[in-house]
Amino acid sequence: MLTLALDTATGVCTVGLVRDGHVLAEYDISVGLTHSEGLMPQVDQMFARTGIKKEEIDRIAVSIGPGSFTGLRIGLAAAEAMAYAWQCGICGVNTLEALAWNIPVEGIVLAPVLDAQKGNYYTAFYEWVGGELKERQPVEMADADMLLDQLRVFGKPVLLLGECKRLMQIPLPEGISVVPEQVRLPKASSVALASEGMKALTGEGVFSLRPYYIRKSEAEELWEKRHPQG
Amino acid sequence: MQQKDIFILGIETSCDETAASVVKNGRDVLSNIISSQISIHRKYGGVVPEIASRKHIEHIMPVIDEALAEAKVPLEQIDAVAVTYGPGLVGALLVGLSAAKALAWATGKPLLGVNHLEGHVFANFINDKNLEPPFLALVVSGGHTTLLKVTGYNSFEMLGQTRDDAAGEAFDKVARVMGLPYPGGPEIEKQALEGNPQAIDFPRAMLDDPFQFSFSGMKSAVINYLHNEEQARRPVNRADVAASFQEAVTDVLVQKSVLAIKATGLKEIVLAGGVSANKTLQHKLAEAAKKAGARLVHPTKILCTDNAVMIACRGYYMYQAGVISPWDLNAVPALKLG
Repeated sequence: MLTLALDTATGVCTVGLVRDGHVLAEYDISVGLTHSEGLMPQVDQMFARTGIKKEEIDRIAVSIGPGSFTGLRIGLAAAEAMAYAWQCGICGVNTLEALAWNIPVEGIVLAPVLDAQKGNYYTAFYEWVGGELKERQPVEMADADMLLDQLRVFGKPVLLLGECKRLMQIPLPEGISVVPEQVRLPKASSVALASEGMKALTGEGVFSLRPYYIRKSEAEELWEKRHPQG
Repeated sequence: MQQKDIFILGIETSCDETAASVVKNGRDVLSNIISSQISIHRKYGGVVPEIASRKHIEHIMPVIDEALAEAKVPLEQIDAVAVTYGPGLVGALLVGLSAAKALAWATGKPLLGVNHLEGHVFANFINDKNLEPPFLALVVSGGHTTLLKVTGYNSFEMLGQTRDDAAGEAFDKVARVMGLPYPGGPEIEKQALEGNPQAIDFPRAMLDDPFQFSFSGMKSAVINYLHNEEQARRPVNRADVAASFQEAVTDVLVQKSVLAIKATGLKEIVLAGGVSANKTLQHKLAEAAKKAGARLVHPTKILCTDNAVMIACRGYYMYQAGVISPWDLNAVPALKLG
């Protein structure tokens, strides 16, 4: 099974090709280009360099969030359009879960975080057990203090990854550390690997994927605050 | 020898309509699918960009699928994909643009990045199959008031534009002060039907430059009038205010258009943009153009508002001229005309 994977949830634009657990190609760019400019040229160049034909693709895996709202929509619109054009399957992968696939190592708690603005993070905790990824805490929004309090209780080494630049500027409790940069940020190969066990959406199902925003738009939040009766 | 038919898929997501369309040979509409969000944004009093983007990503692929199905043209038979890349709301534009790029790339077809405003002008080619450049265009929408000389299918010359508010923007702002629901333009027009256009003499800014517009003074005059009447506790005839304001705006648009007809000697003038749906504007401009020796062409109502037919039509003439966009085409929210 050959998977084309995309992740545009953060500042990294990453695309990859994975066949049955083997990474054939991955192309990551994080120089501050917009995903709108970078995504399709990156996909195009990756196909040209690997010699893989478009019609060989069995499914598309796309990181659907949490993450930058605009970034998520760029990735999902492109993924849906390609799946529609090729009539192949599509898998929406949780961006945090995909990050946990960067470090498939047992005996540690993985805590991927993504910037949720205003000092908050989207986060979830994972652990690899017997070769399988287990969710230790579902996705939620937390500030740095809350996050570190929750991580202290595990009594195991904890690795932070994702968008944790700001967390690196504060003293971290013992046993909690940030992973090195080359495995810290989203990787399309991880999105593809995470998707391999999933059932792909096909046919009209291609249209049913939605970005995993978690938060409503500010206008909706404000409106609901002003109109508590709905 | 019979020439091969050219099928263009058009995609438009610049504001609050998710639209897709298939057009044959630039002029024959095979489908025109529009998913409007007007009712969703009404309670906020205007388009909320993040909500618009969220609706676009839900609707974009179903709308494209429906456009192809209704046209009975399979994706493989499409010759090129045309998409609006500006002007508009950046987050909204990016949904259509990303889908269009991926669709074109995945099927090995050329991508045609279309200027939304040029699209509005090209809507007239659909309504009048005999229309050909050169002609004049008056582009009037919520963001633009522009007099344009269309010298060829791919060449435009700007004669003048607004120095402040666009005509449609003035309509929307006056409507908001009058407490009319969004979108304000059509509501003003509805109110004006019952009013006397000569009731209140709002100022018409004609400016020294014959082809430049200014509507902010006129808008302020209406708002001041409403405030003064309220303070004096005099009842306001809203229909008269709407009719008099509409009269003032259309007077300026018509007079400047006539000056342009006389200055260029062109025999045709087309209306384009959301405000071109205004019946008073259509009637007054048709009559004045006729007197000046020119003919008015305007789109039907469905093609006045945002749609993808006009994008496919514009794209067709780019395709014919070999104007193809690169895969790194980005959205340009403040894209200009001409």
